[in-house]
Amino acid sequence: MTRGNPFRPSSSRRTLRAPRIGDRIFFVLTLIGALGVVAVLIAVVAALFHGAQPALQQYGFSPVFGRIWNPSDYVYGFVPFILGTLVTSTIALLISVPLSLGAAIFLTQHAPLWLREPVAQVIQLLAAIPSVVYGLWGLIIITPLMAADVNPALASYLGWTGLFGGPTNYGENLLTASIVLSIMTVPTITAFSRDAMEAVPRSQKEAAISLGATHWEVTRRSIVPYARSGIVAGIVLGLGRALGETMAVTMTIGNRNAIPTSLLSPAQSIPSLIATDYFEAITPNEIPALFEMALILLLITLAVNIGARAILARLALGSGVGAE
Amino acid sequence: MSSTQAGTNTPPGSDSDSTMMRRKKGGGRGVMIAVVAVVVVIILILVGGYAAGWFKTSTGSGGTGSGGCKSPTPATLSGAGSTLVAPLMFQWSAVYTSSTVGYSSVGSGAGISDITSKTVDYGASDAPLNPPQRTAIPSPGVVTIPESIGAAVPIYNLPGISGHLRFTGQVLAAIYLGDMTNWNNSALQTINPGVTLPNANIVVVHRSDGSGTTFAWSSFLAAANATWKTTYGHSTTINWPVGIGAKGNAGVTETVQVTSDAIGYVDINYALTNGVAFGAVQNPSGNYIVANITNIASAVKDANVVFPSPTGDWYNVTVENAPGAQDYPIATYTYLFVYTDLGKAYGSSMSLSTAENLVNFLLWIVGPTGQSYAAPLYYVPLSPATVTYDTTTIDSITYNGAAITTCVPS
Repeated sequence: MTRGNPFRPSSSRRTLRAPRIGDRIFFVLTLIGALGVVAVLIAVVAALFHGAQPALQQYGFSPVFGRIWNPSDYVYGFVPFILGTLVTSTIALLISVPLSLGAAIFLTQHAPLWLREPVAQVIQLLAAIPSVVYGLWGLIIITPLMAADVNPALASYLGWTGLFGGPTNYGENLLTASIVLSIMTVPTITAFSRDAMEAVPRSQKEAAISLGATHWEVTRRSIVPYARSGIVAGIVLGLGRALGETMAVTMTIGNRNAIPTSLLSPAQSIPSLIATDYFEAITPNEIPALFEMALILLLITLAVNIGARAILARLALGSGVGAE
Repeated sequence: MSSTQAGTNTPPGSDSDSTMMRRKKGGGRGVMIAVVAVVVVIILILVGGYAAGWFKTSTGSGGTGSGGCKSPTPATLSGAGSTLVAPLMFQWSAVYTSSTVGYSSVGSGAGISDITSKTVDYGASDAPLNPPQRTAIPSPGVVTIPESIGAAVPIYNLPGISGHLRFTGQVLAAIYLGDMTNWNNSALQTINPGVTLPNANIVVVHRSDGSGTTFAWSSFLAAANATWKTTYGHSTTINWPVGIGAKGNAGVTETVQVTSDAIGYVDINYALTNGVAFGAVQNPSGNYIVANITNIASAVKDANVVFPSPTGDWYNVTVENAPGAQDYPIATYTYLFVYTDLGKAYGSSMSLSTAENLVNFLLWIVGPTGQSYAAPLYYVPLSPATVTYDTTTIDSITYNGAAITTCVPS
């Protein structure tokens, strides 16, 4: 690299960029970063397989269908925990998605300008609260409320659905954990939906209004379809958080290692079981079984992510760019 | 937790989404295929590796082990296990100066698996080894050393009720079976005359993890109730018919403290140090006993257990339901496990000098100085007969077949 002649045509292929050592180093560093991330994923999965190996050898994947978990009898069934994980996450999203969409629509379409930023900031602050704080809040505030008022009310008014049967005096139950999880997922879904809705071009909205659409029609026909992929991305992230949440669930779900009989019965989720059981695991295959369960959780999260990506891709293809 | 961060930063959606939107028609499918391909490759590698036996290595990588178990420094010892005995163990290692003694309060189960995998010099558990655990212990096997005594007590959260509520084994079993669901029931009222019991549903709290306290508690319920005995038995983990689970003695204490109308069970020292109301329990003589060090000690004395051989099966050793009129009925030993021949067990990773240090420490624990630290922390000191038994056991520990020279500090 001679200083005097920066435009020296060294070779025809290199006319645009001279080979600089700094660029090379930067390239290698970024490559290491990228490979490192992949390596960590592989290492984590390998460690799970390694830990689960004794259980896999002895039971294969039959525990996935086992209905009873009783380590002292050497019975390891995962159904109660898979069920607990899926049910709490699903109910959490059923609560948080409408809430978050409502918040996002209000913040982007209806709220006066001076109000938008502060409210959005407050919603995002929810995401900064550590999960153990949510757990404490659930344990101290929500749990007694559920036991004293909500459970009996649900049982007497909605008992006919069969979802709210059994004893009503347990404040720590599936529904309590779901409620805490729903509040934890609101900021994620709201932030993504709001950003997506904010990205909708003005012309899109104005075109709909000029056709005589009401507020509701503008939102439904014009804003939401355009922002769909952003909203779905937010929901997927929220679901990921709900599936993997450990601390807040442990503190509010009741840690009962059996299949729940209703939404008001104490239950257990996969991450919560692993966290509570690991250090007091007694019987020979209990820890490998916990590892196998971690593997199952990883598969569930992976399936959810891939599925959601597929939906996302299809939505983007199908709807194109909202209304033409 | 990465999702938390994604939520905190404003931009994640905005620019990436709008560009994604524009490119999506062509790029979406490609990205998806790439993701699926990477996942498939990873799974193939792992399945292949699994089949080829890549992941078979030595034991003991469970992560529960306390680091630096087999320290090269001769005078450093390490143990792990029971949380129940941890306060006493920490006290012992603090005042014992002849060796540096490390103790990890990781739980009885982890204590047993750590001694099985030889990652510690001694393991501690509130429950004896069960038959499969004994079989899992590698040669030359371990000795069982009862080293202190605790007791399980029923704790409850009933505002407005003072003193110690009375319980029988039958009542406790009915509550934990889910047969007795209201505090204001006739069986409980009959044994608590003059107490106004609330008309409230009982919230049952039990351990969610494997626990020596659960072992003692379920043994007591099994002795009192035939249904409990045949259906749930006694063990460190129980497939509980009702109730919510909490982790550790501390977790049960806290859950009961914050839950109205709750009942739970913890070791006596957790009830006393946290100031939680705990019940009197009826003993076989018909008396209602409020647990304290004196009546737990007399229970252990009156139970008059004939210990098995140190390497024998301790699973059925119990000091519950002792015959004395003033004995507390739910007392329990807590145990240490040490290999019978330290040289054969640990090979070159334990020097003779470390083995000497270990044996000296064990003798000091069961000796007069070690036991004098028990009572202030609400543990019951061992009886002289048990001390003699333990001393004989510890003296029988060898190093490559040869007796170990001992020198116990005062």
